[in-house]
Amino acid sequence: MSAKTVLILAPTLVSVVLVQSYFWVPTFEDQARGDPARLTRYIESSIGDASILNPTLSADSASSEINSLVFDGLIDRDMDLSFRGRLAASWRLFEEVYLLVDETQRFPDGAPVTGPELLRRLERARLGGHPSLRLVERLEIEPARTIVEQIEEEPAAKGAPAKKREVTLHRPPRLKFTLQEVDQDFFSSIDRLLGGYVGSIDPRRWLGPELADRLKERAAELLPPTEHNPVVVFQLRKGVRFHDGHEFDSGDVKFTYETILDPRNLSPRVPDFEPVKSVETPDRYTVRITYKRLFQPGFESWGMGILPEHLLNREAIRAEARDLGRDPERFSIRDSRFNRNPVGTGPFRFVEWKTDQYIRLARNEGYWEGPPNFREVLYRIIPDPLTIELTFYAGTTDEYAAQPHQVERLRKDPRFVHFSGLALGYTYIGYNMRRPPFQDVRVRQALGMAINTQEIIEYVLYGQAERITGPYPKQTDFYDQAVQPLPYDPAGAQRLLEEAGYKKNAEGWLEKGGRPLAFTLITNSGNETRKAVMAIAQNAWRRLGVKVETLAVEWAVFINERVNKGDFDALVLGWSMGLDADIYQIFHSSQTGPFQLNFVGYRNPKADELMVRIRQEYAHPRQVAMARELHRIIAEDQPYTFLYVGKWTALFDRKITRMVRGPDGKPRYAQIVPTKLGSPKFHFTQWIKVPRPLVGPVQAVR
Amino acid sequence: MLPFLLRTVRKKLWTLFFVSVISFGVVYLAPGQPSQIDPLNPRFTPQQLERYRKAFGLDQPLHVQYVRFYTQFFTGELRSFKDNQPVLGKIIERTLNSLPLFVVGTILVWCYAFPIGIATAVKRNTTFDRCTTVLVFALISIPGFYLAYLAIIFVVETFQVDVIGLRTFGREGVSPPFAVMDRIWHLVLPSVLGATAGIAVLSRYVRSQMLEVISADYVRTARSKGVDEDRVLYHHALRNGLLPFVTMLGLLIPGLIGGSVIFETIFAWPGIGRLGYEAILSRDYPVVIALNFIAAVLTLIGTLLSDLLYMVVDPRIRL
Repeated sequence: MSAKTVLILAPTLVSVVLVQSYFWVPTFEDQARGDPARLTRYIESSIGDASILNPTLSADSASSEINSLVFDGLIDRDMDLSFRGRLAASWRLFEEVYLLVDETQRFPDGAPVTGPELLRRLERARLGGHPSLRLVERLEIEPARTIVEQIEEEPAAKGAPAKKREVTLHRPPRLKFTLQEVDQDFFSSIDRLLGGYVGSIDPRRWLGPELADRLKERAAELLPPTEHNPVVVFQLRKGVRFHDGHEFDSGDVKFTYETILDPRNLSPRVPDFEPVKSVETPDRYTVRITYKRLFQPGFESWGMGILPEHLLNREAIRAEARDLGRDPERFSIRDSRFNRNPVGTGPFRFVEWKTDQYIRLARNEGYWEGPPNFREVLYRIIPDPLTIELTFYAGTTDEYAAQPHQVERLRKDPRFVHFSGLALGYTYIGYNMRRPPFQDVRVRQALGMAINTQEIIEYVLYGQAERITGPYPKQTDFYDQAVQPLPYDPAGAQRLLEEAGYKKNAEGWLEKGGRPLAFTLITNSGNETRKAVMAIAQNAWRRLGVKVETLAVEWAVFINERVNKGDFDALVLGWSMGLDADIYQIFHSSQTGPFQLNFVGYRNPKADELMVRIRQEYAHPRQVAMARELHRIIAEDQPYTFLYVGKWTALFDRKITRMVRGPDGKPRYAQIVPTKLGSPKFHFTQWIKVPRPLVGPVQAVR
Repeated sequence: MLPFLLRTVRKKLWTLFFVSVISFGVVYLAPGQPSQIDPLNPRFTPQQLERYRKAFGLDQPLHVQYVRFYTQFFTGELRSFKDNQPVLGKIIERTLNSLPLFVVGTILVWCYAFPIGIATAVKRNTTFDRCTTVLVFALISIPGFYLAYLAIIFVVETFQVDVIGLRTFGREGVSPPFAVMDRIWHLVLPSVLGATAGIAVLSRYVRSQMLEVISADYVRTARSKGVDEDRVLYHHALRNGLLPFVTMLGLLIPGLIGGSVIFETIFAWPGIGRLGYEAILSRDYPVVIALNFIAAVLTLIGTLLSDLLYMVVDPRIRL
């Protein structure tokens, strides 16, 4: 055989083998009809792989999604976003509050203050039906105690590491009140009853002269005159089993909490659980959690997946380290094989994980809520968005998040059902209020009024977004729907700037006192939408006569060098938010330092007070009222130009539907109903794929 | 022969050392932090950031980190920041996944490029040559990812079959012939698309090499002796034109690592190129540096091989 024949024949043969393989591959329809097993398999695709399948350690969305199927939390959110018990069958939230007994003081009538006397007077007022004490269930005296605390010494030289020191304190007796529900104003109302007693307690009195002098204002941190300790008592569901058959109990909850707080595990969730004072387990099915202070957003963190103690406790981890020949002292849960072979109590159990290819889950036949309909969930990793779309058309992905420009077209496609909702979060332009000209609210308002947000929504986002006027996600109760967005009014903007003292110079640029109105607008590179917003804003402002430069900066540099150090004039950025009302870290004036999130330097004492009160308020209606007021204040101040919130649209194969078995065991099909947030997957365990779409539109109305 | 070999190997080891230093240093010059540190997570404090840095040894001086890194690398203890898996194991698994793509692609490129190149050289300045030239340059200049998207959209929309990944996803428990064919089908687009640009470029080289040798005296002599034309071209002429391709053959080996990042990403192919790309995106330093280092080793092995092959192919170099 000559060289030529080989050179031509070999690749041709290869090509023939390659091409004929087409006849062996199933099409979109074949996959559902020819393969019954495919109908019980749900495939989801994601751009990024999961990183660590342990709910206490994961920080990325892909891992969280898998963890939410493998693990159960104590609670989660219902269809209408209120809390619902999962591993917890029920719970009770109340409060224990403490008041120091300061025997050096006197009551207004001249009688000296003692513990029993204080108790007697308050008890009498309570029996007399005094409104401040209506929530009090029990009143008792806690005797004086000696406590040991760690304090940080002031560093000797600047920049030297702060030393820690142990101090022994003699704490005087305290009054302990048990309140039916949390009341952040409890002390201010009983202070009126006690004639200013609470306000005049000076904790330095019990520190000794040396320590009192050194600690000054921080004395109240060591010996707080008053203390709020909210308490949650969870009653756990009985008979729930982990995927390996071991029964779930209160020890697992305590263990999960301890895992997060163990510094060796480097959990990113420490801040959520830092306000917890203690987790106690009075019996197998009761968990009692006491908080150090009022912190309402902390409750939601109990939605986090619960780890199995028996697989990860100290002995198990040591045994694993020895098994792997690693040093047991340095081996932590973070190194454990568990993170790639998780065991939880959730509706699906983990089967296998091929890095950057897929993660396979199988249904938990013994799930406490009944086994899911799908036998398997496959989480596929496809790094390219267009490719994900095409696997959806080819039938090898069951779910697809449409890009804004595709929504109109794909909604009409008879092969698919679609659901839409607003994202949790928003895009904004933030102004560095430490720098001129942004200290002037009129300038900020004028800049906001010059931008035609409606146009951005229509042309940049293909209509798949909505305007937003304030700091809360639009679909929560905290968002005040009555706040009107800034009007698009370039002429009005011009007038406002004139009012603020800016006049046009000979070249047509605005200036004040000889200094032109000029600044740089930045954003991170790699986000085309933000870049477009940046260009539109620049154009709009230049037409006003503002000299604006723009710059797109690489993400790491953008965050570390610009945002964290406060080195910018104005920026385009977005927040993704949670469902709680706490925006303290983004807008409170104490959070304006380097590496903190109020990088625009917003300060408003009224807003500050509201933010503190909101995170301490446990009653939803009161929280809503305060949050809406805060929304109005921030909308008035315009530290940001609030632009828009994106709309997502999720598509599913029309063959996917909801199926519930009636008491007779016969399947009944139902509509897929989205939650208040628009998410359709609330009833995911009831989903199933059928060989042909059911007759009539199975699509939900909401 | 042996002294030459020793000399080259010694030189290459030195190069390798410098490459190891540079690839380590360059990565650390880049701004940013390892993957799990998310600077905009509202509940993430600087103190915690510091704890992370300590745990991963990022707070130590660079030379300490350097020694630590390569010690761990050679003992196989080096673990990825991203998933805490041994880096070496990851690299081996991914290389095995890339291998079929690489092998099929290489066969297609190296086998098709020669006949095409030779044919265009022989029929130079004919319509066939001109058409091929236009086509070849079109293939070279159209970006590969664009062609890939067009091909995927065309195949999926027309035939409604899956082309992404190693196999039709979610289809399991089928008989072995179907499973094998399914895998082969998934090789078609990425390997063919990966090969097109290669065929185009290589065939141009072949053409120009052949143009040089085709007018040589020994070719005319062979023809005048009445030797069969194919034998003249593929035996007498091609052998003498082969020399430059030996170098390219050597450089094929490092191509295994960086060869097809784009196609592997588009086709969700869990190969070695994508491993590197994703490691860079998530700032997974151990993987990035290890891959850099391995790529350097492979390049050096490749050049060493082509040096040796030269000596085999061209006796003059042995002198």
